[in-house]
Order: sequence, then structure tokens, then C-alpha cells
Amino acid sequence: MNTMTLLRARLQKPDASAPRCAPPSRAPLVALVIGLVACTLLPQHASLLTRVFITALLVLSLDLAVGVAGLATLGHAALFGVGAYAAGIFALKVMPDPLVGLGIGVAAGALLAFASGAFLLRYQGFTFLMLTVAVAQIVLSLAQKARDWTGGDDGLSGFTVRPLLGRFVFDLEGRVAALYALAVLVIALYLLRRLVDSPFGLAVRGIHENRARMAALGTPVYARLLVLYTVAGAVAGAAGALSAQTTAVVGLDSLSFALSAEALVMLILGGAGRLTGALVGATVFTLLHHTAASINPYHWLFVVGILLMLVVLVPPAKAWAWLRSRVGAGS
Amino acid sequence: MSTLANILIDGIAYGMVLFVIAIGLSVTLGLMRFVNLSHGAFAMVGGYCAALLTREAQWSFWVAVPVAILATALLGAVLEVLVLRHLYRRKELDQVLFTIGLSFLLIAGTNALVGPQVQLIPLPSALAGSVDLGFRTLPAQRLLVIGAGLAVAAVAAWTVTRTRFGIWLRAAVDHAGTASALGIPIRTVQCASFAAGAALAGFGGILGAELMPLEPYYALKYLVLVLVVVAVGGMGSITGSLCAAVLLGVIETASKYLASDWGSLFFFLAMAALLAWRPDGLLKR
Amino acid sequence: MSISRRTLASAALAAIASFLTAANAQAQTIKVGIVGPFSGPFAHYGTLFKAGAEAYVASQGGKLAGRAVELIYRDTGGPNPAQTKTLVQELIVKDKVDYLGGFVFTPNAMAVAPLIQQSQTPTVIFNAATSSITEKSEYFVRTSYTLWQVTVPMAQWAAKQGLKKVVTAVSDFGPGIDAETAFKSEFAKQGGTVVESIRMPLTTTDFGPFVQRIRASGAQAVYTFLPGGPPNLGFVKAYNENGLAKAGIQFLGTAETDEFDLQKFGDAALGLATAFHYSGVHDSPVNKKFVTALKQRDPNAVANYASVGAWDGMYVIHKMIEATGGQKDGAKAVAAARALQWESPRGPVRIDPKTRHIVQNVYLRKVERVGEMLVNREVQSFGPQADHGLDK
Repeated sequence: MNTMTLLRARLQKPDASAPRCAPPSRAPLVALVIGLVACTLLPQHASLLTRVFITALLVLSLDLAVGVAGLATLGHAALFGVGAYAAGIFALKVMPDPLVGLGIGVAAGALLAFASGAFLLRYQGFTFLMLTVAVAQIVLSLAQKARDWTGGDDGLSGFTVRPLLGRFVFDLEGRVAALYALAVLVIALYLLRRLVDSPFGLAVRGIHENRARMAALGTPVYARLLVLYTVAGAVAGAAGALSAQTTAVVGLDSLSFALSAEALVMLILGGAGRLTGALVGATVFTLLHHTAASINPYHWLFVVGILLMLVVLVPPAKAWAWLRSRVGAGS
Repeated sequence: MSTLANILIDGIAYGMVLFVIAIGLSVTLGLMRFVNLSHGAFAMVGGYCAALLTREAQWSFWVAVPVAILATALLGAVLEVLVLRHLYRRKELDQVLFTIGLSFLLIAGTNALVGPQVQLIPLPSALAGSVDLGFRTLPAQRLLVIGAGLAVAAVAAWTVTRTRFGIWLRAAVDHAGTASALGIPIRTVQCASFAAGAALAGFGGILGAELMPLEPYYALKYLVLVLVVVAVGGMGSITGSLCAAVLLGVIETASKYLASDWGSLFFFLAMAALLAWRPDGLLKR
Repeated sequence: MSISRRTLASAALAAIASFLTAANAQAQTIKVGIVGPFSGPFAHYGTLFKAGAEAYVASQGGKLAGRAVELIYRDTGGPNPAQTKTLVQELIVKDKVDYLGGFVFTPNAMAVAPLIQQSQTPTVIFNAATSSITEKSEYFVRTSYTLWQVTVPMAQWAAKQGLKKVVTAVSDFGPGIDAETAFKSEFAKQGGTVVESIRMPLTTTDFGPFVQRIRASGAQAVYTFLPGGPPNLGFVKAYNENGLAKAGIQFLGTAETDEFDLQKFGDAALGLATAFHYSGVHDSPVNKKFVTALKQRDPNAVANYASVGAWDGMYVIHKMIEATGGQKDGAKAVAAARALQWESPRGPVRIDPKTRHIVQNVYLRKVERVGEMLVNREVQSFGPQADHGLDK
């Protein structure tokens, strides 16, 4: 939502006293309902649903950085990966409690985001993008080198996770894992919705639209962006921790450039900036990948490639409007 | 000392391959501000054409390579005219999405048509042998790569500085609006430079086939490296790309010789340092 | 809202489609899930697994132990433990497979160990070669090889040839490190020294620098292990093109002259010595039958360690089906597998009851030209070798 749409909305509705933003609990509730329905109707696909929820959380955190703050990044997988490895190593060496591990993952992601953001946010545009790639690859190289901690190319495995809250065992079918991931996703969505709609969030969105103007208004641009980037890192770290705990294995692919690029693709597909677009993009892409790959593992890239090109060539908004004008001639 | 010489030779060869592939992307980014993430796919297409023509159709290497380069140029031109030029005005993220989709399509197409194995380009006997330089035996192909890279740099520099097309190109990169107002045919310049960039990428794919094996995922696998060279060298700057490519190639090779278990750490550390020092490119003031 | 609606609709469609493509369970059909890379740079493994497995089933008349068999293939893409785990979980819970097979990469196999242990699903490993995998679950049976198994005889042979200084160059991952450790310890036992141990990152494509380091190390031979596919090709080419053979550095390998890529090396590969458990030209009627059946199934398929791993893997599954009478009984199946002993296309083999790993002959081979083709000619047999990595 930018100034123009706000203005237009105000001009059209005479009663402009009420705020036009949706209540922050609406999107999380909708997501919760859809998620619960999916878990109930498709219990055999629980592990797929878990992956969808975790990916949605990752793309959500990317939306914070890319959509809200305008920081196009191709290194987001690093934040996901450190969260995953931190949670995995913690479960292996210290204690296998899932919630504490989740906290560790969040902390790890936030820490890396803070440290790298302090350096990265001095740059903008293409330079910033390439530097995020550099940081991510450096983290990947370090993880590869630290074989004794991360398992290197063999991956980190052999850790188990204690029952959630002491009662819910992570079963073979993956139902508990799916509900756990869904709960974290919904809570994160709510918190982020509150954040983005708050004055802080508005300031960041303002920085996205026009950095110079916000600076002229006295906003500490660098500080705001750093805080936002750290929050994005925390959420990505949470996604990584969930991934480590639900699959009980962490591989170097969780730090890869391919993951960063895929997350960005999912975000653009669903629409950046509104938080809900991230969920939609992640869901569609993951389900499509899964379906197409199980039908024909060789040729699923065809389907995805064509879909991506179509989505750009024929923007959904335009297609929908065209359809409406054809079908509803009276509206 | 021989290690140093080895590093320099291997590093320069590797850097030359990166340079030849990266030139096209640098010009496209600088000239049209078009984020073309399918650039790696052009390198792949060029390499595959050369491999198939020499191996399957049994053409001579010296004929197959120019034909492959021309085919890639044609592909680039056709794509530019039909599809890509409509995306110039779109947001960068849209361009990213589209060109990634295009890369996926080309990867899947290559896999479907030719299969997933690595494609080797059989070299003619003149190039297939090894050259004994005394302190080490070098595949003759490496010398070809270094020579070709220097030739491309020279030709590109000459084109940009001495020809009318070069003047048009530089004007268009500096300010497209004014250039077009002055009567420079911007569309032609854009199409021609895109096609030339694609052709050079294809050439780079052929040259680099030994160092960067040709397989369907080539299009995305080496994209990062090419982007790094473009970023460090500066968008639109040919000499910048050359310096960046050679410098980074030598650093990467040095780390392979001296600290191989650290992977590409030093490459990216150097890249980050160079970018932090000169955010707009090595040679841009 | 327009974007959300459209994509929500397609999301719903995608979900319904995936629900509908769920395979219906048939009471009598035995389901075997084959997990491996079917896309990406290692996709040839997937193709070869498919060819080998289907060729075996066809050679038994389309049924195993009188029951119809359904092979379900899942693509892991490469070393991707999290995705493999999700795929296997789905295979076990949704598709309700009775047996699992495949597995090219160690991390993928390690990741599914807890799953198969909990669900008691016998899993036959067609390729992954790190010794410790079979220790992670009682339900793993392996029909491929391990690095210790093929490296120890190679080290012994190298010492017998009078080589005193060898340099090892391996890919930096589980099996590679196994190979390095195995060679070092056995070669030292035989009185030789490993002058340098070079580890090459898995993603390396340009082996020139490593080959130069090998040259500079002053060794008489280089012992190498690479994961199969593009890296092997790159390394052997670099070895040839940089003149190492001329410089007097002998090549000691294992899977590098794999039949899949062998023809690409040309004459430069002649004489390369490797120690391995299977050669496409192994001279036995069982092998000839295997090669014919394979070519019939897929004319492009190559008879190599991957396809024979799948063939023998399906043999083990066949015997497990026989022993359990087609019922799902993991413990009984694995117990039956432990007692197996048969003549495989590679030679006489048996499953070691303690380690559940295949005990097989390891051969010394040299590359030779036979007509138009290059082959791995078996020069000497080292006799049956167990998994020395688990002997300790």
C-alpha cells in the first residue's frame, strides 16, 4: 500500500475516519484455518505440509527484507542455514529440547543478520545484492571447512528431538511436526503483521519508497534497516531451526545459493510486500515442484520455467481484470 | 617459484573464460539496465552447439565454433526482439523472475534434447596436445584460452573506442534519452549489443568447456561467478570486467593451490573487499 | 486480492492433483521405493538404477517370488538429506512401500536411518559407499561396496609393486575421507609412506591446480577417489593433459575408469590401474546374461557398478520377499538377507551376517582397448574382501 492507493481509497469512501488496514490477526487466522484443514484432510502428506510451512516461513522473512524494506538479497539462505545448524548442533551436543533449540536458531539467525547487516547496509542496489551473495558463500565455505561441527558435505545427522512440551512425540507420520511448524508460522505471521503496521514498519516502508526523503525527515535510515534486517534474520533462523528439528538432518544445501534464489522466485511469484504473498508463493511453488517432480523428475523444470515466464508476461492483476471485463459485462 | 607461475597461468586462463562470458552481461546490465539472469544459458547453448556439431555432425572444429557462436548470437537476437525488449521497462524483480524462468526452460530443454551427461568438445589435434614449457606441461587448450581472451578484449576495446557503433554504445550507456534524441538508433544498438553479448557468452562457454563442464545445470551453476565479475568490474565497463576477471581468477586458483580445503572462501572474501572498496566497479571513479 | 485468488486457485489445484496422484495400494503387489538422483549432474545414476532394477525384474519373468512388484522412483537431485528424508517419509507413510532401494550419496542414506529403523523397512543400498552407514540402522543391507573394501587390496598391491611414496587425492566428503584413511593405514602397514593427502572440494570442476600439486609432491603414484560423474572425468583428463604419466607418477584409482565415462577419455586412459569390484567385461555367463538383459531393457544403459548394484540389490529384495512370503516383516526379511550367498555378475558374493554388507571379490584392472571400445580388463583378483572399515 503506498500513498496513492491510500489516497484513492480515501477519496472513494466518504467515511475516511476508520483506518483501512486489515486487523493484524486476520491473515494469521486465515492461515491457521487453512493449515489445520490441510493437516486434517491430508494426514498422509504431513511431511510435505511441514516443508510447505517451513518454506513459507523462510519466504516470509525474505519478504520483510525484500518487499517491505526494499533490500533485494540473494543471500538469505545463510540466515536459514545458520539457524538450522545452530539448532542441530545444539540438539546434538547440549540438549534436544525443541523449543529451546528454536530459540537458539532464532538467536543465531538474528546474530548473523546483525553482524552482516552492519557491513552490508552501507551499500545499496546491485552492490548490496552481490555482497549478500558474497556473505552467504563465505558462510557456506566456513561451514564446509568446519567439518567436525557441521559434518561438511556429509551433513549433520544423528540427533533426535525430545517430545514437544514434554508430551507430543515427533511421530513417524510427521503430524506433530506439521502442527508445530504451522504454529510457529502463524505466530510469526501475527508478530510480523504487527511490526509492519507499526510506526517502525511504516518508517521502513517509507525508506523503501524514498530513502533520501526519509533521511531528510530525520529518520535514522541505517539503524531502522539494521533492526529490520535483524528481525528478518531471526525469522529465517526460526525456519532453519524448524527444518533441522523436523527432518533431524541438516545439509549444506540449506546454505546454498540455489535456496536463496528459489526463495526469491517464490516471493516474486506470490507478490512481494504484503506478507501474505510470501505464503501464497511458497505454497504454490512447493506444491508444484513436488507434484511435477513426482510425475516426472526429469521434466519438472519445464513446468516451473514456463509458469514463471507466464506470470511475468501476463501479470495476474491484468489477467484477472481482462477476465472480469469479458465475463461480467454488467459489472 | 614454479607454483607462482602455475598459479598465474591457470589463474589467467580461468579469468579469461570468466571475462569472455561476463562481457555480454556487463554491457547488457550497463546499457539496458536489464537484469538478464539467463546469460549463463547463452554460454551453455554456445558450448552445446559446438559440442554437438563437432561430435555428432562430425564438423571440423574450426567451422563448428564460429557456427555455434553465430547460432547463439541469433538466439540472443531473436529472444531480444520478440520477448525481452518488452521487459526493459518492468521492475527489476520481474526481470529476475522471467530470466530465471527462461533459464529453467533452457536447462530442461537441454536435458530433454541431449541428456544430463557432461558434453566434451573434441579438440583438433593441434589443440588437444600438451605443450611442454619446461617447468610444467600445459594443455595447449589453456594457451588458446588466454590468447582468445586477450583477442576478445582487444577487439572489444577497439570496437568501443574506434568505431561508430562503439560511440553509439557508449553514448547509449551514458544516457539513453539524450543519445536517442541525437538520432542514435537505440533499438538497433540494444539488439546488436545483446546479440554480441550472447555470442561472446557462447564463445566463453566453448573456451571454458574444460574448466566448467557443460551440463544442463551449467546455466545457473556458474551464474554467480559471472555476476561477481560484472559487479566487481563495474556494469558496462569492459576493461573493468577484464581486470576483475583476471584478478578474481588468479585469487581463486591461488586458493586452490595453497588452501584447497577452504573452498571458495578467499574468492568471496576478495570479492567483498573489492566491492566494499569500489562499490561502482574497479575502474569507475 | 486478484493475485491471491488466482494463485490460491492454482494452489488448490496443485494440492488436489498431488492428492489424486497418490498410488492406490493393491493387496498383492509388493512396493519398492527407489530413491536416487534423476535430475541434475548425477542423473545417470538414477537412469542406471532404473535400468538395472527393471532388467532384473524382467529377467525373472516380471514377478518376484510369484508376486507383482511396483517400483516407485523418487528424485533426490543430489546430496540433499532433508529432501530425501521427506521423500522417504512419504514413501513409507503414504505409499506404504515394503522395501526401499537406491541411495547414491552418504548424507541421504544417513538421514533416513531413523525412519527405516522406526518403520522396520528393509533398505538395500545400491551405491553409497561410506562404511558407517550400515551401522546406523539394522535394516540397511548394502549391495554396492565401501572404500575400505576396495582400497585395502589396492594399498597392498601398490606396496608389492615396490612403490614407497604415494600421494592421495580424494574428494572431500565421507567416502573420500574413508578412502584416504584406508589407504594411509594399509599402506603404512605395508611399509610405505603417504607423502601428502590432498582433499578436493566436491564442487571442484578444474582439477589443474590439484594435479600440479600432485606433481610437486614428489610421489611415485597418486591414489584417488572421486564421486562418479563429472568430477571423475575432470580429474582423469587433468591427469592426462598435465603429463603426469610422462612424469612417472602412476595412477591408482577405484571408480575413475567407470564404464559410463570411460569411452570419453580416448587412448589417454590406456593402462590406468584401478581396484574395483565390478568390470563390465567380467568373464562369466552370469555377467553376460546381465549385460544382455540390461541392453534389452535400455539400449543406452551401461553395465557398470551402479547398474550391477541395482541388479544385485533387486536380487536381495527378491530373496527377502521369498523369505517373508510377501508379507511385510522387516526383521524376518533382514534375517533372511544375512544368510544370502550367490553368483552375481561381478563374481561370487555373499552378505556378511554381522555387517549386512556384501563380501565380494575385488579385482585389479587395467584399461585396454578391445576393438572400438575401452574396457577395464581384470588382470588379477584380490579374492573376497569384507568391509575392512568395520573390522575394527
